[in-house]
Amino acid sequence: MFYITNKFKWLYTITKLRHKEEKGRLNMRDYLVKRVIVSILVLWIIASLNFVIFQVLSPISPENTVIDPRMTPEVRDSLAVLYGLREPIHIRYIKYVKNMFTWNFGVTFTSLKPVIQEMSVRLPSTVLLLGSALIGTILVGIPLGILAASRRGSKTDVLAIGSGLLTWGVPTFFIQLLFMLFFCYYSCVMFGVQIFPSSGIVSRPPPADPLAYMADVAYHLALPLITLIIAGFGSWALYTRSMLIDALTEDYIVTARAKGLTERTVLYRHAFRSILPPVVTVIALSVPGIISGAMITEWIFTLPGIGRWYLNSMMAGDYPVVQAVLFIYAILMILANLFSDIIYGVLDPRIRVGARR
Amino acid sequence: MAVASLFTREKRIVYARKISGFWEEFSRKKIGLFGLAIVIFYVVVAIFAPWLTPYNPLAQERVSQDFAMPQWVTIFPQYKDLPTTQKDQLYWLPEKGSDFIDHYGNSIITLYEAKGTEPVDVQLSAKFNYLSIPPNDFYLRFSWRSEEITDLKYSVTLNLFTPEGKDYPIWIQPSLNTGKGEVVSIQSVDPLLRDRLGFTMHENIAKIFFSQKGGYTCLLNMHFEPKSEAAKGQIILENAEVVILGHVHGILGCDNVGADIWAQVVHGARISLEIGILCAVTSSVIGILVGVIAGYFGGVVDEVMMRIVDVLLCLPFLPLLLTLVFIFGKNIFYIVLFIAIFGWQGLSRMIRSRVLALRETAFVECARASGASRFYIMIKHLVPNVLPIAFSSLVLSVPSAILFEASLSFLGFGDPRVPTWGKMLHQAYGFGAFTNLAWWWLVPPGLAITTLCLAFVFMGHALDEVVNPRLRRRR
Repeated sequence: MFYITNKFKWLYTITKLRHKEEKGRLNMRDYLVKRVIVSILVLWIIASLNFVIFQVLSPISPENTVIDPRMTPEVRDSLAVLYGLREPIHIRYIKYVKNMFTWNFGVTFTSLKPVIQEMSVRLPSTVLLLGSALIGTILVGIPLGILAASRRGSKTDVLAIGSGLLTWGVPTFFIQLLFMLFFCYYSCVMFGVQIFPSSGIVSRPPPADPLAYMADVAYHLALPLITLIIAGFGSWALYTRSMLIDALTEDYIVTARAKGLTERTVLYRHAFRSILPPVVTVIALSVPGIISGAMITEWIFTLPGIGRWYLNSMMAGDYPVVQAVLFIYAILMILANLFSDIIYGVLDPRIRVGARR
Repeated sequence: MAVASLFTREKRIVYARKISGFWEEFSRKKIGLFGLAIVIFYVVVAIFAPWLTPYNPLAQERVSQDFAMPQWVTIFPQYKDLPTTQKDQLYWLPEKGSDFIDHYGNSIITLYEAKGTEPVDVQLSAKFNYLSIPPNDFYLRFSWRSEEITDLKYSVTLNLFTPEGKDYPIWIQPSLNTGKGEVVSIQSVDPLLRDRLGFTMHENIAKIFFSQKGGYTCLLNMHFEPKSEAAKGQIILENAEVVILGHVHGILGCDNVGADIWAQVVHGARISLEIGILCAVTSSVIGILVGVIAGYFGGVVDEVMMRIVDVLLCLPFLPLLLTLVFIFGKNIFYIVLFIAIFGWQGLSRMIRSRVLALRETAFVECARASGASRFYIMIKHLVPNVLPIAFSSLVLSVPSAILFEASLSFLGFGDPRVPTWGKMLHQAYGFGAFTNLAWWWLVPPGLAITTLCLAFVFMGHALDEVVNPRLRRRR
């Protein structure tokens, strides 16, 4: 059978290479200190990049979104001062970076409310959907990958490879459109009932009883969730499978088998244990995707989450929102990187030994 | 100089041997060959796109009714009566006053010269048959002009007679005494026509007109009222056709404006292949350059480049891509550029680590000792050694570029001037493919994306096995 890695390949490769290169030179603590310093540097560069893209290169500014030509000159002037448009660019830049690092993302242009406040309204829906999708894909994918690796050539193996291929080649939104066509529209024709709702996160008006409310939200999120899991679990299965197959060819596995350990023990205590660092690394690095990954799903199913908000704000030229989302994603990504560095060190005994030496 | 020495005779033989060995290895991988076959199929489709379909995918030419089904559904019994579009040229024959009428090529000229002061009617009729179930839409088009009008008042009307003898005055030109010329297009969806004929807005006049199977007659009546004995004028009639739009059309049916979907799918193959390959090549070139330079120079250069990689890895790809496209304009060139810019980090990191190992090998040291410049070493020794890694990664990054472009177009951020599969899905989602259950609009572009991407994935993994000997041991 052919060998397949997947889209996590790069994420893991980069972490691994970083460790491999640094291991000889630094011990674990120094290494982490260096990573933290580099992370802050990276964050600063991203903040600067945001500034350059949105306030220097972009033609969109408060001048043409908030400030209306019909306003009186005094109002226009005071608004321009309020948005800092009269200040020289380097002062604006310093203020901007300071604001970003003090968690002050400003006020949206469209609703004139603080960005953080608007975001906190939309965060639960996105986190609920993508968090459960992430957990779902992991819970389906990793066991499937283990099964496939332990029974190579079986039907499970074919399923794992097939589903992995699916995630490579099929756009997620295509799966979602197909499911929507069938469960929301064709079902009306064939069975006379819409099996799943096609839009929104809760019925209108929402049910008063909290339990009924939760059930209603679950009903509305079912279709996006199922499609996300179907589109996503294959890559986890394939990743686990290929890592595990690699691990099962190692010499210590032969030793373990020679000792007369059961296949189960060999698989879980030896082989799976050894691929835990890369798996946890990739899980950690997938977490920030919760913020950004739902854009198309939320667009298709009309869910009131971060992704939809981001798109709408972007098209309205509301760049404080765009900047805030990009910046928060970067922070999460950097934290996930740091976390995966630490986890990698903790879970991989070879690195610990190397550090002690 | 370096480039010239790449193509000496000996080198050519070496390369030919390498390529034939590579092909031998690759041709053993069935799945890789399968992928290659699909890619070649798409390339052929892309090259011959203009010959595979007569329609322009961007023109939105109305070739059948809205949401017409594919023609092949008529093999199923429940759809077997559905007609395709019927297009009839109208051949006008004189009905009354034939001595005024003169044929000249395709045009019919009515030369009127007063023979008294009584009004005269000149009539032309054209017959056509309609033998299918009632259509939802039709249009009738002709062009006419009047010239050399002197002392003459005239009016023109067009009536449609159904087989059962009903008479619908579908077009009226009120009295005129000057020359006029226009292209008349009578459309069944025209609300003014519907109101004039006394139908309500819930009635479909195409359905009512063509509810019978049989011969239909168009009658064109030209009414001349001379003001004096010297009155004269001519009316010229050209290019008359009646188009009764069908319920089914072509290989893949029609979209919401009755445009051909097959044309869009076929032309989409072109643009998807172009985007995928361009993005992959650009990002691979960047990745190789950055990896080799960072790995070979080391020190500050390395540090800076790897920090750039870190920064790019901490940015969410799709949201940022959308934003950049939104800011800089929905231009296919920018889209390719941005996708390429975000696609090289993993590759460069991998190549850098390979170059770090290669830098210490004997042959590079030899080259350095014999006075080779850094540039020469990089081009002649390092790049050829990392090319195999880059090659399989290049093929594998084609599908991701295609998918990103499709996502972009699906969200409505694609270049409006190119027909892409993502754009088709965008329109299908936005313009009622769901409510009309138009699977023939939703499924083909998605399937096309899927098969093309999978083909590249198959090829990429076969290549990966060929060029990456470590993977082979596990078989």
